[in-house]
Amino acid sequence: MIEVKNVNKKYGRKQVLKDISFTAEKGEITCLIGINGVGKTTIMKAIMALTPINSGEILMDGEKITKESFEKITFIPDTITMLPQMKINEAFAFMADFYKSWNPQRAEELLQFFKLDPNERIANLSKGNTAKVNMLLGLSLDVDYLLMDEPFSGIDIFSREQIAEVFTSHLIEERGVIITTHEISDIEHLIDKAVLMDEGAVLREFSVEEVRENEGKSVVDVMREVYRA
Amino acid sequence: MTVKFNNRDPVYVQVIRHFKEKIAKGYFEPGQEIPSRRELANQLKINPNTAQRAYKEMGEQGLIFTEGNMPSCITKDEAVLKSVREELIIEAVDLFLGSIKSIDVPLSEVLELVKKKHDAESGEAEESK
Repeated sequence: MIEVKNVNKKYGRKQVLKDISFTAEKGEITCLIGINGVGKTTIMKAIMALTPINSGEILMDGEKITKESFEKITFIPDTITMLPQMKINEAFAFMADFYKSWNPQRAEELLQFFKLDPNERIANLSKGNTAKVNMLLGLSLDVDYLLMDEPFSGIDIFSREQIAEVFTSHLIEERGVIITTHEISDIEHLIDKAVLMDEGAVLREFSVEEVRENEGKSVVDVMREVYRA
Repeated sequence: MTVKFNNRDPVYVQVIRHFKEKIAKGYFEPGQEIPSRRELANQLKINPNTAQRAYKEMGEQGLIFTEGNMPSCITKDEAVLKSVREELIIEAVDLFLGSIKSIDVPLSEVLELVKKKHDAESGEAEESK
């Protein structure tokens, strides 16, 4: 489980995270929802220790994140971090050098699934295919937790469907996933838990099936209530 | 197998309903093996936890059974299968009665219309075969 406890963060005078608390279970997909600029990406960076926090605590399976943690948790940012002149298979070699948890069989499997050519240069890929390679690099690590920043934004509907399909497969199973999005409709049926955010704060955290069961409301219904209140 | 899910009913409930419909239609036969939890999640594009929940619930309702490590199968219990069909029919009739009630129309007129429509539609279905 990833526990984010009372996290506060300021950029200069601006408070970007206000007493943020939520949990993300292993074996579940937790979705951080909110419009642009509410602090979703900052939380992910804070979990990955890529940005310092002013107060609060972040734990993974009860322990603080250290450099050893990065074999157990990975972050897929919204843009690819590989050098553009690299070929896909060169990016694989780079990952293999960098991470003990790199799983080459899984990378091959994903190449097939996404129908990508390993000899293609990253710079020459379409936006949708770049997003798929980015996703592939993160998914091919045998980690317990995956953080994905806006995996669906700015790509065509078929690529979106293909990426959504990953979420229903063994590639995700048993792992804990946190994803951010500002458009929930594509993945409403895929997520276990929603965390609604606004202006750096968590407004509501809920299990989507429970809310459907007990209140007869969709995620969008709850969002309407929370954001228009 | 594609299912259009609505966003307001729990997905696992909708999955169970989908199975009941298939059982009632005879698409699933008694004792037939059903997809694994993972296969189902992939086919229906749902979360594997939801597929798991649906299977657990169906197991408790006696709709499916699992022996040891074998794949789950549709029940062979005739009484359960019969009740599934009845349940769906009664549900549809209740829904129909509910919407017809608000128009305040005599039953005989409605039944006449239902019969006419039904015959016309099954006639069309015959022709298209």
